[in-house]
Amino acid sequence: MSEIYEQLSTAILEGDASKTPRLVNRGLKQGISPKELLDNGLIVGMDEVGVRFKRGDMFVPEVLMSADAMSAGMLILRPLLVASGAKLLGKIVMGTVKGDLHDIGKNLVSMMCEGAGFEIVNLGFNVEPDVFIKAIKEHQPAIVGMSAMLTTTMRAMGHTIKAIEEAGLRETVKVFVGGAPVDKEFADTIGADGYGSNAPGGAELAKQLVGAA
Amino acid sequence: MRGNYTVNSGVRFRMLTDDQLQELYDGVLHVLEYTGLEVHHEESLEILKKAGAWVDGNRVRIPSYLVRKSLELAPRSFTVFSRDGNPENNIHIGPGRAHFGPGPTCPNFIDIESMDRRPYIKSDVPNVAKVVDALPNVDFCESLGTVNDVHHDLGALYEFAGMFPNTSKPIVAWSYDKYDSAGIHEIAVAEAGGQEAFEHRPNYIHYCEPLSPLVSTGEALDKLIFAAKHRIPLIFTPCPIAGGTAPVTAAGIIIQGAAESWMGLTIAQALQPGLPFIMGGVFSVMDMSSMILSYGAPELSLMMAGLTELAHFAGLPLWQTGGCTDSKTFDEQAIIEGSLSVYFSALTGGDLCHDVGYTESAMTGSVFQLTAMDEAIGYARRITRGIDVNEDTMAVDVINNVGPNGHYLREEHTRRHYKTEFWYPNICDRRNYEEWVEEGKKTMKDRTYARVQDILSTHKPSPIKPETEKVIEKVLVEAEERVKNS
Repeated sequence: MSEIYEQLSTAILEGDASKTPRLVNRGLKQGISPKELLDNGLIVGMDEVGVRFKRGDMFVPEVLMSADAMSAGMLILRPLLVASGAKLLGKIVMGTVKGDLHDIGKNLVSMMCEGAGFEIVNLGFNVEPDVFIKAIKEHQPAIVGMSAMLTTTMRAMGHTIKAIEEAGLRETVKVFVGGAPVDKEFADTIGADGYGSNAPGGAELAKQLVGAA
Repeated sequence: MRGNYTVNSGVRFRMLTDDQLQELYDGVLHVLEYTGLEVHHEESLEILKKAGAWVDGNRVRIPSYLVRKSLELAPRSFTVFSRDGNPENNIHIGPGRAHFGPGPTCPNFIDIESMDRRPYIKSDVPNVAKVVDALPNVDFCESLGTVNDVHHDLGALYEFAGMFPNTSKPIVAWSYDKYDSAGIHEIAVAEAGGQEAFEHRPNYIHYCEPLSPLVSTGEALDKLIFAAKHRIPLIFTPCPIAGGTAPVTAAGIIIQGAAESWMGLTIAQALQPGLPFIMGGVFSVMDMSSMILSYGAPELSLMMAGLTELAHFAGLPLWQTGGCTDSKTFDEQAIIEGSLSVYFSALTGGDLCHDVGYTESAMTGSVFQLTAMDEAIGYARRITRGIDVNEDTMAVDVINNVGPNGHYLREEHTRRHYKTEFWYPNICDRRNYEEWVEEGKKTMKDRTYARVQDILSTHKPSPIKPETEKVIEKVLVEAEERVKNS
């Protein structure tokens, strides 16, 4: 049994998005529970990815491959986990705020969070506060993530948080923010719950916000 | 298939034209033929006379045909081998290949623990060699100091004995006299598996220095002749000081210094045709207010660039100089002077760039300067490697696939190239502000110190043969015996 866990974590570490689902299916066939496969296989691999990235032994393109492998495994496991009533990390609603057309940084954070085990609702870019509010009501996420690339648009993150407050939803979600001009101090000023300085840091932060790290 | 297509893949640097180099070359021949040098060595005078030089007492003038013949005999390209057969540590000397390493004989050393300046001692030698062995951009080893705590005649021998087991990168060995040279050679030959094996795969380089202006001393020639007879690749490196022991102008010092070096070349090639010969050395200015030989002056880089081009024009490799400083400590001056001279040296393609890690105008050796310069050399090497332009690197298809507002991080093209296309620093910090604060706001100096400590506590050089260890012991015992009454 431990063999399959090791193979799974290795497949994640090597960023093998075709091998990972095969191994997940093999594990299920052997009668291992989805939760066991996730906790002892996929997450062990992803945690090691985090350690290696922080140490400078892995680089972003490799981490992304690992995140892709993780997502490929989760595609099979998520419905089973939901059906079994297991507690999942939950959803993150992600968007680049109003007036800002930058998409890539936010997408990278999304991929990393997905790799960490979250389900992502990606709202795209130039997202109006109303659209965030509608998505919170519809998807009931644990976290809302906002991104801004420009000093001129970063204030829209504060406006969006305010709008979420006014809609009476602020207590239902954690909010984390990021983007080139943003820093911890600004995040505190606008009342966000967290600030991530890069994509892997963002995924780490998301886990902390839901008490999973 | 493309025709008539010109490629420059590296950064090209050229200071002088062929016309100017021809003038410098002719200037050197003129000095050797009409002014000549003093040679204080009977055997060398005999060798020179027999080869066709005009000998008048100690004054030797060499007709230009003889110099040209000697240049013709010396190889432009050759290999110096690692002692343990590790091909990554071999040095292939040839056009477009710049190598780097420390220098010898500083009286002082920056202590590895306290970072304070103090006399260089025997126990510093293995540490320097280990750091050299571990640093990815340092190619050859010298000790960065003169051992002060052994008999004053045996410093060079103890240095070699301390370096040889602690790095498999080729050592450039200096010595006081031919006895040292013989001891050093005995150690190297033991490891190589005999004299003949050594001649096929030489595992160190011998270093000696003539005196400026225009004197070949007895000791320098004793060592030169020892190296030539045993076919040890040879560096003959003067250290002229512009305005003091050489003309104040760059062109003038280059001509005089080259003449000093080519006197050694002529003797060496007469004795051992085809001996790998590397001309030197350290050419810089006398600072007219402090009277020091400046190791941080821009003129050092310029003079060394001119000398490199002359050496290559004449078909010889060069003993370059860089990575050194006049600063007394690990500070901004040390990094500016060291980095710029390293970069300039890399641009010239000067073959073996030494004195990396010198501080205080060569008075104090520092593994911290050496380690910081390893970073600068990596940086410079990335620039001189240049950019490739081909179907694959132009990435026109990849651009098309990704399209507007996409990203390249997931592309196979990115994954295939990002590790080789980009240079990654070891001690320069690129993290964001928060992470930097979290790690304790470490400066370049802190990180360099940590890297040195990390190398010294974790790096294990490949061992020498057990029989070589016995030879080292024997050589040291015999040497102590020889000098005990002096």
